[in-house]
Amino acid sequence: MLKRDHQLVLPTQARAPGFRVELRGTTFRLIATGAWTVAEATRLDQALKRLRVPIPPTPDFTGEMDIAGIAEIDTAGAWLLQRTAAAWEASGLRTHYAGATEGFRILIEEVRRRGNTERPQVEQIGAARQLVDDTTRVLTGVWRDAVQLTSFLGEVVAGMGRLIRQPWRFRTTSFVHHLDHAGLRAVPIVALICLLIGAVVMQQGVVQLRPFGAEPFAVNMVAILALREVGILLTAIMVAGRSGSAFTAEIGSMKMREEIDAMRTLGIDPMDTLVLPRVLALVVALPLLTFIGDVMGLVGGGIMAFGVLGLDASTYLDKLHEAIDFQHFMAGMIKAPFAAIIIALVGCMEGMKVEGSAESLGTHVTSAVVKSIFLVIVLDAIFAMFLSGIGV
Amino acid sequence: MTFENGREILIRVRGLAKSFGSHQIWDGMSLDVYRGEILAIVGGSGQGKSVLMRVITGLIQPDAGYVELFGKDAKTLSDKERLDIETRWGILFQDGALFSSLTVLQNIQVPMREHLDLPQAMMDDLAFLKLAMVGLPPVAAHKYPSELSGGMRKRAGLARALALDPEIVFLDEPTAGLDPIGASDFDQLIKKLQQTLGLTVYMVTHDLDTIFTVCDRVAVLADKRIVRTGSPSELQQHPNHPWIEEYFCGARARAAMPSAAKAQAGMRSLMV
Repeated sequence: MLKRDHQLVLPTQARAPGFRVELRGTTFRLIATGAWTVAEATRLDQALKRLRVPIPPTPDFTGEMDIAGIAEIDTAGAWLLQRTAAAWEASGLRTHYAGATEGFRILIEEVRRRGNTERPQVEQIGAARQLVDDTTRVLTGVWRDAVQLTSFLGEVVAGMGRLIRQPWRFRTTSFVHHLDHAGLRAVPIVALICLLIGAVVMQQGVVQLRPFGAEPFAVNMVAILALREVGILLTAIMVAGRSGSAFTAEIGSMKMREEIDAMRTLGIDPMDTLVLPRVLALVVALPLLTFIGDVMGLVGGGIMAFGVLGLDASTYLDKLHEAIDFQHFMAGMIKAPFAAIIIALVGCMEGMKVEGSAESLGTHVTSAVVKSIFLVIVLDAIFAMFLSGIGV
Repeated sequence: MTFENGREILIRVRGLAKSFGSHQIWDGMSLDVYRGEILAIVGGSGQGKSVLMRVITGLIQPDAGYVELFGKDAKTLSDKERLDIETRWGILFQDGALFSSLTVLQNIQVPMREHLDLPQAMMDDLAFLKLAMVGLPPVAAHKYPSELSGGMRKRAGLARALALDPEIVFLDEPTAGLDPIGASDFDQLIKKLQQTLGLTVYMVTHDLDTIFTVCDRVAVLADKRIVRTGSPSELQQHPNHPWIEEYFCGARARAAMPSAAKAQAGMRSLMV
């Protein structure tokens, strides 16, 4: 803000902006006082809008903006003055400024010159049109996603093929790093969740089957459920939330900071360095985690079986032997590598789609998690139909 | 307000010390920033030029020392005083630091929305005015930061820094990464805005052209403190310090200095 030179302004006086209009001879004068700054702009704006533009009775009337009483001014104040002056000009008053210091004059002149630039029109879209547009975009988006995912899968498979012919391109360090982050560090949470769900299902099973006198069959139910569905589904959902989102965020922020472009120009294929190690690491890690999940689900069921049915460990194991065989275990386990590929592919692909803004990163991380969980459940349903079709 | 030699001191720094780990960057550093001047902070890499800006603006706490902002001790500020001071300064970060999810126009209006209660129409008018003042075309208003070039992002960042008509603006390397024409335009812009708005400008810079064309005073950071302050030509004629000598009398400095000073320096080297 500009202060009037060499003038001591008392704080109260400086803070109280104001103006009045008077007619002297053939001159309409707007006498402005105080601090015309952005902090006071709202009040000034309202007062100035209430002010009626004087209509000159004859063409020889003029206007004057007397700003000798202004102690401080900034662009907001200058803009308000200039808006008023422009309105007076428009009504036929030739308007000039009086009492401006050199600094004030430069500022007002700058605001006058810059203030009336042409503005670009923003296209206004009606609510109905917006709704139609959004619906179209979402529906075509499903198809587009399917095409993109397929083509990305193709790229990954081609990358794998290249890796088999040129094994030295494999990034061991990166692979081990992701195995550690997505696999080893997920063990505690996967184990805990599967243990708790196994216990809860056993407890509920016993309660629900008791009226039929069939509570010993709760063990069969828990065992089959844990091996075929709960172990793999819970693990895959946990991994999608933990690692799928991390993949998107890592690759996305690299994309935002042009690191991926830099890699391409250095002759490094992001597919080799970023995508393949993640996909392969998850393909190895998810079956192992699923195995841990299966075991912990059975352990949780066993603990609860001891609690509510009074079965000791050896009896529980015997009952498990009767209830399940290797087929059930494999029916769950076979899904793990496929779920891993889906989670890693969606995570990496969404990361590659991130654009410049932080908001875009957030959107793609969310959609990576949502899409991979959705696809994992669809995959599970397809496998359920297939396996029952072949009688497993 | 603090006055010294008849000039108002906006920012006063005394006895500042800061170290990162075992590396001490300053010890007992002092600096004054006067109202209405364009001050350049220069110094070698790692001397803490940008850190000093961050200490003054309160983003980093110093280990020891005293920072006075607009006559008030920065440590004892109440929340309300702090807020009041934040409306009185504007900061341009190195790459603009624009909010990536907002358009340029919305970016400029963020400080107005946060600190004031202005009608939307007036905020639009003021934002377009600021946009024009920093030399951006009106079509840039509805673009997102990622759609702008580096130079345009800097200008947009400057427009946001100027949104509330601050008394002082901090510029972190304003001309870094701009081509010579763009950098020279930016120099002129800073000078012009300083005259129009009565700004005080505090800039961290390496650019000798900027220093010679727009700066009133230069403060040199070396040996863990401000070793000298003075006008660019003063420092050039009497360096009295090896780093200043190298900086102001090296080949690039001779290319950047204005022709009058060049003649003088030429005379001096002839006499030596």
